[in-house]
Amino acid sequence: MSAPLISVDELTMRFGGLTAVDHLSFDVSEGTIHGLIGPNGAGKTTTFNMISGFYRPTGGRITFAGEPISGLPMHEVARRGLVRTFQHSTLFNELSVIDNVLVGTHMLFPPRLVAAILGRDGASRRAARERAEEALSFFGLHHLADELAGELPHGHQRALGMAIATAARPRAVLLDEPFTGMNGEETRRMMELMRKLKASGVTILIVEHDMQAIMGLCDSITVMSFGRLLAEGTPAEIRRNPKVIEAYLGGTPHAA
Amino acid sequence: MLELLAQTALNATYAASYIALVAVGLVLIFGVMGVINFAHGELFMLGAYAVVALYADLQLNFMMAVMVGLAFVGCVGLLMERALFRPLRDNPLGGLVASIGFLLILQALVVMGFGVRMEHIPPVTQEVIAFSDRVRFPLSRLYVVVAAVVLLTALWLFLKRTRFGWALRASAQDPEAAALQGISINQTARIAMFIGAGLAGVAGALTAPLVSVNPLMGHSVIVTAFIVIIVGGIGSLEGAVVAAVAYAFVHTIVTTFYDGVIADIVGLSLMLLVLIVKPHGLFGTAERA
Amino acid sequence: MPRASAWTLGWLALAVALVLLPQALSFSQQEILVFLTINVLLVSSYRLLTLTGEWSLGHAVIMGVGAYASALVTKWTGLFVPLSMLVGALTAAAVAWVLSFPLFRMKGFYFLIGSFAAGEIIRLLWKRFQDPFGGAKGLKRIEPMPNLDLGFHHFDFFLPTNYYYFALVAVGICLWLMWRVERSPMGLAFHAVHWQDKLAQASGINVRGYRMLAFVLASGFAGLSGALLAHYIGTINPGSFGVEQMVFILTWAIVGGTSTFYGPILGVVVLTILNEIVLRGMGFEQARPLIYGFILILSVLFLPKGLESLVQGAMARWRVAAPRPAPVEREKQA
Ligand SMILES: Nc1ncnc2c1ncn2[C@@H]1O[C@H](COP(=O)(O)OP(=O)(O)O)[C@@H](O)[C@H]1O
Ligand SMILES: [Mg+2]
Repeated sequence: MSAPLISVDELTMRFGGLTAVDHLSFDVSEGTIHGLIGPNGAGKTTTFNMISGFYRPTGGRITFAGEPISGLPMHEVARRGLVRTFQHSTLFNELSVIDNVLVGTHMLFPPRLVAAILGRDGASRRAARERAEEALSFFGLHHLADELAGELPHGHQRALGMAIATAARPRAVLLDEPFTGMNGEETRRMMELMRKLKASGVTILIVEHDMQAIMGLCDSITVMSFGRLLAEGTPAEIRRNPKVIEAYLGGTPHAA
Repeated sequence: MLELLAQTALNATYAASYIALVAVGLVLIFGVMGVINFAHGELFMLGAYAVVALYADLQLNFMMAVMVGLAFVGCVGLLMERALFRPLRDNPLGGLVASIGFLLILQALVVMGFGVRMEHIPPVTQEVIAFSDRVRFPLSRLYVVVAAVVLLTALWLFLKRTRFGWALRASAQDPEAAALQGISINQTARIAMFIGAGLAGVAGALTAPLVSVNPLMGHSVIVTAFIVIIVGGIGSLEGAVVAAVAYAFVHTIVTTFYDGVIADIVGLSLMLLVLIVKPHGLFGTAERA
Repeated sequence: MPRASAWTLGWLALAVALVLLPQALSFSQQEILVFLTINVLLVSSYRLLTLTGEWSLGHAVIMGVGAYASALVTKWTGLFVPLSMLVGALTAAAVAWVLSFPLFRMKGFYFLIGSFAAGEIIRLLWKRFQDPFGGAKGLKRIEPMPNLDLGFHHFDFFLPTNYYYFALVAVGICLWLMWRVERSPMGLAFHAVHWQDKLAQASGINVRGYRMLAFVLASGFAGLSGALLAHYIGTINPGSFGVEQMVFILTWAIVGGTSTFYGPILGVVVLTILNEIVLRGMGFEQARPLIYGFILILSVLFLPKGLESLVQGAMARWRVAAPRPAPVEREKQA
């Protein structure tokens, strides 16, 4: 097997006296869909925020494509090819759908002030627009390009969030609870999009509270409980693991 | 040298007293309503002009003038609450901007009523407590110190011992929870605004015979108050008092050894420094939710 | 008629109107027109600053930095005034750049108060240091714009009409620059930082970097407006750039609205006309701060989206009433 794309090593986060993530280690292989699951309060979101550069870890290391990224600010992590989405439909509601995705292409086509004023950046603007339209088509949003993002239905908003995240062709995306608040049909379509994304070569790390939702989607799964690693394996292995069953049925710290 | 220090300490104590009155009022308003009252310096100015009108012009008793000043400025506070801050409750930046507009109105009204010139106010008392030849404390300054101690203690007791005080403190944390206890958000806002504005007014009234009273005097007051509430941890009443004392000493000492403008620059730099390294203030605990 | 040429015609008409405008005005109105032109630049630069979502209370002082710098440079070196104005603009931008390091560690309230404090420090420095800033009395007899003979016209910039033409060109160029910036991918990044800074950052945008950039650019333009003012009125002091001036900027911006490019310009034009025609005409000139205070409060309370929202509403109705290719707001790439 090749070296992992994302490698989390002894990652720790303390909030005052509370240790939300406790010496957690796991690897994500390139080209896979990897699930990070666990009961509410297990520390998934905290882990997610550390990997994406939103929080600075108290201890431990994160490497991406062999390069250490722990403690880097979020935009630096993104520029290295690891882009996150947000738990709720966080979008630029006041901007059009196409402009939302154009923001996502920022890394591929960084704006230059003087060229922009003199109108010498036409090629770069056209390329950004093409890429944005491509990303919209990929997620089936092309016909909505000129709508305001805030006025889209919920499912489309989630898809737009993924389009923004993938517009700059990242090597990996981090998705935080992408199925929350979706109905069956929306969930099914979202899974379809994720498989399509994986087929295009993007590695996906999904953080999810609902175990069933991602069993059929993931290649491998890491289970957390009380900030620690509980189990690792394929969906089939996880489904049978007694520790996992107990964690989900028994000592849930607090309900959703 | 020792005498100079003693004199500086006395001057600082006096300055700390009225600064604390102004800053505590500002913090109370921010704590309960979540809005920075940019017109707070002009409320101070109004208090001073109450003394100009009643004591200097109409020759009323000074204490009487101060009391009326307190009540009058408190009512201006109620007006601000009703007309500006209540409609803008969900828009604290709007509240701040509106208070900037109000500041201009108050200044303009005072200019119309009294003119832009500096007011002359006859001294309340010429008596001086002389500790030695060079350490002297005018009695009129002592009045300010005593009044500040009395008023702030009274406020402290009110906040800790009464139902309204409890509601005020609770609503600084969580307005809805406080409202559940039967005291409405509007009520707590009114009380906070009356007390906050009244404290600024009484500070202005008490110091009127000791400072140069003019329509633009509020500016340096609000700058000072900002420094104090930022250093004290915005939202903390105790912090504001401690910071007022600390600031008054630093400012008085720098004024004594350099000059007043340098002292202002030092104060503002101190505040920027606090904003940079510890945005919630040196004494503050947490941001308002 | 093709849309492009309709626009060209509209712009031409506006240009002609702006050139002819002084002919229709009295001498004192021409002076007001100079100030208005400078203030259009000032308030537009303020909008550029607010694009990333932070509102500063130090903008009037930054304007003053440009004024002081340009005035002092001409005094010391005798530099050609238009060039010294550029130096003033660059100085204001540089000061803003230095200030942005502490200030952009703050947000919201803290940024407001912090920018206010930083501005006050600068004003106190002007006041404190007689040499070179002239203390509380400020600078007097600032080098005026030298006369210019262009063959077809002799420009004596002591006359408001001529200075107005000069300012009009300078401000026009600046507005064009700001427009280009806003309509570029960089402008989109500014908007992104404003509306959702977290998502912008997750998209690889250096949020703090862009906030600083907007602040520095806006300050450069504000500095130029200060320099334009200084070399026209010939005397400046710390009081020229105090709270009152800041309130004017805020009022123009809020009354006009800041979500469109034209909003703040609309604000300053309408309020200036109101001020000059109504107040001065009726002899209420003294009441200017009072009226501004009321207008500021009323617009925060009752017209929070500014005059521009009225224009947008009217335009939307007009489009519904006359369904034909309406002027598309967002520039479309072919
Ligand atoms: N910013 C924070 N400050 C303090 N405690 C936090 C913070 N974020 C999360 N926690 C705590 O850390 C633990 C893990 O939370 P989280 O990572 O959100 O879990 P999950 O996403 O698995 O539900 C919880 O006990 C939570 O209360
Ligand atoms: Mg979570």
